[in-house]
Amino acid sequence: MTTRAARTGALRVRRAVACAAGVFAWCAAFTGGAACAREQPGTVAMVGTPQAVRDLHWGEVLFYFYQGEYLESLTRLGAAQTFGRLSNHPLEAELLKGGLYLSLGQHEEAGRIFRALLDQNVPLDVRNRAWFYLAKVWYQRDYLEQAASALSSIHGALPGELEPERRLLEAQVLMYLGRYDEAIRALHRWQPPSGRHDEWSAYARFNIGAALVRQQRMDEAAQLLDEVGRLAASSEEMAALRDKANLALGFAWLKADRPEQAKAVLQRVRLQGPMSNKALLGAGWADAALGRYERALAPWLELHGRGLLDAAVQESYLAIPYAYAQLDANAQAIEHYLRAVQAFAAETERIDQSIAAIRAGRLLDAILANDTADQAGWYWQLRELPDAPETRYLYHLLATHEFQEGLKNYRDLRLMQRNLEAWSLSVAAFEDMVDMRQRAYAARLPAMQATLDGVDLDALEERKVALEARVAAIERDGDIAGLATARELEQWHKVERIAGVLAQADPSDPLVADMQDKVRLLRGTLLWEFNAGYKARLWRARKELRELDVAYKEARRAQVLVERARQEYPAQTARFAAHVAQLQPRIAELGQRVAAAAEAHDRYLAAIAVRELEAQKERLAAYSLQARFALASIYDRASAAGAVP
Amino acid sequence: MLALLAVGAPPHAAGEEPAEAFRSLDQEVQALKKEVLDLNRELFVLEEELLFPANTQVAVFVSMDVGAFFALDSVTLMIDDKEVANYLYTEREAQALLKGGVHRLYIGNLKAGEHELVAFFTGQGPNLRDYRRGATVRLEKGVGAKYVELKISDRAVRAQPEFIIKEWE
Repeated sequence: MTTRAARTGALRVRRAVACAAGVFAWCAAFTGGAACAREQPGTVAMVGTPQAVRDLHWGEVLFYFYQGEYLESLTRLGAAQTFGRLSNHPLEAELLKGGLYLSLGQHEEAGRIFRALLDQNVPLDVRNRAWFYLAKVWYQRDYLEQAASALSSIHGALPGELEPERRLLEAQVLMYLGRYDEAIRALHRWQPPSGRHDEWSAYARFNIGAALVRQQRMDEAAQLLDEVGRLAASSEEMAALRDKANLALGFAWLKADRPEQAKAVLQRVRLQGPMSNKALLGAGWADAALGRYERALAPWLELHGRGLLDAAVQESYLAIPYAYAQLDANAQAIEHYLRAVQAFAAETERIDQSIAAIRAGRLLDAILANDTADQAGWYWQLRELPDAPETRYLYHLLATHEFQEGLKNYRDLRLMQRNLEAWSLSVAAFEDMVDMRQRAYAARLPAMQATLDGVDLDALEERKVALEARVAAIERDGDIAGLATARELEQWHKVERIAGVLAQADPSDPLVADMQDKVRLLRGTLLWEFNAGYKARLWRARKELRELDVAYKEARRAQVLVERARQEYPAQTARFAAHVAQLQPRIAELGQRVAAAAEAHDRYLAAIAVRELEAQKERLAAYSLQARFALASIYDRASAAGAVP
Repeated sequence: MLALLAVGAPPHAAGEEPAEAFRSLDQEVQALKKEVLDLNRELFVLEEELLFPANTQVAVFVSMDVGAFFALDSVTLMIDDKEVANYLYTEREAQALLKGGVHRLYIGNLKAGEHELVAFFTGQGPNLRDYRRGATVRLEKGVGAKYVELKISDRAVRAQPEFIIKEWE
């Protein structure tokens, strides 16, 4: 078995936990985040460690990330970077972006981002995480040496759930490199601080144990698998892993011809779990190997009542008559062999129907019929297989890495198609909007132009300058009447006029003299008032001049802005129009390529499914042949003995 | 008969070299996905530039801090006496807020000048009682985009939630 082939099996287990814990680990790496920082406001936030949200748009990216909406999160992250809104989280944003690309299965892009981060002078914490994610990228791309090297570049512990994930990854990478002793040592170095972390170690122990079985290193394999097989499982996931470990160890003991040990281990498997059929079959073979055929019949007959879709159940159809034959109960053996031949034939017919349904192109839609989630993602996995003719025989196939990856791609392609369709509608609306803007601008332009033409800011400036000069002159000359009100000035001029007339009159006239006295009094009163109010008036005049200056400058600025907008607006709208115009054909072209890729996946996965079903048919044909041979052999023995049973 | 054992082999014994066909398809999907992701970002940016130009843009965000004294159900937002958003939070969204996520409740356009913003928060307060509180702020909208954060935090001293409106430029 090649390294890659060996990996696919273990990946199944690893991916299963990735579903449950991978996303969790991701969140722990980023989230713990904000909450911790708030609890410790005094600590200095280091980039890449828990820190408070210091850009609102960064918080928005996290809002979608924490909900597992990676596509939305990535889109908003990219937009926020384009707008330059993540200035307080530049490294954190890049790290998350790389992680999001990785979550969406974009290894190359993720790898590029993590490598770029390592080229920068970044804090150790960021470097560690970049190395870790880079190791993941390389592991998934099958560059195991590079993955091992990246993992060895991490100094100290990673935050939260990333640390146990790193240990698991390290152990698995070493295992696939064939460095089993180092892999086991890596596991031993890892001391789980809590129950949850122990789950990671359990997966690693199982994978390494299974690999050691393949290496025929039974004693070491038995130790690891036995540890997992005795776990006090706190969840269904762990109970399932425990069953798998016991099953793997049981069959390993059977192959090593140690049936007593095999049976003891197989009996630990739960009777109703997904591994129960294989365990019952194995337990029967353990008894059979010890010559205890009657005991072997108990688990096999239990299997007989279960669904014939399962390979273990199919095998029990041959095992039961085999045991009867060994017990010389030939009549029962013949009866069961005949029943097996009939059952295999009926099953083969049903498989043919499935193949026909798949060839009719209904496979993937049937599989995804109940898939309502709308998130793309590397961690997505089909949890339940619908019971349809196209899918009934594909439980085994569905568990393979190859099919899962293809299915994931197909599903992502369909999501991408829906995404593009939605954008296509939006772009049509954008076109209308740009068109409306152009029309509205054209309609408003004449009125705007008239308003602009009606404003003569230069003339206003001249008047402002003249006013400033007048006030300056009044101040310089101490012209207290210069700041009089219009009414006061009118009175002043009237008094001056009267004084002028009186100056021409006969001063000896007592009436004239009396009037001159009154005029002097009036002038004195007015001058006294001017003088008394002069300072306050000068202060007010200066203040008003300053306000005038501010208003004038604002008007100038507004004029410049309006003028600039008038010049730029048509160009900007034209840019939008050009951008929007090239989007629709791009979306259409991309949509066609996505549809073609989805169809290619459909054909490809259908071919794999048919290949799988053909293999099942071949197995049933082989079983059927064995049953017929066995029947012939019993008949031969019976006829040789002179009696037909 | 021992050949039969192969069927019941350990769960990890199976596996084949992935077909070249799959690698090629996978690479094609990777490239397509990248294009779609880039297009998504481009369209998102364009949409914002078209609908909410920077000079008139106003965005209102909701954030939560700790949340021991308040479980958020919904936020209603009014600008100049007009209801512009009424958002009901799912459990998943509320959890995302508690982890430090920030929700953009509203994005729209406002003319330069003074505006009144009122937010009503409903949820469960201390002792699981229904809780409704309002917060008001007068905004001065200038030429650039305006961001407002509606922040729900815990006031430990009084064992009460606190609703703060913070302006960002």
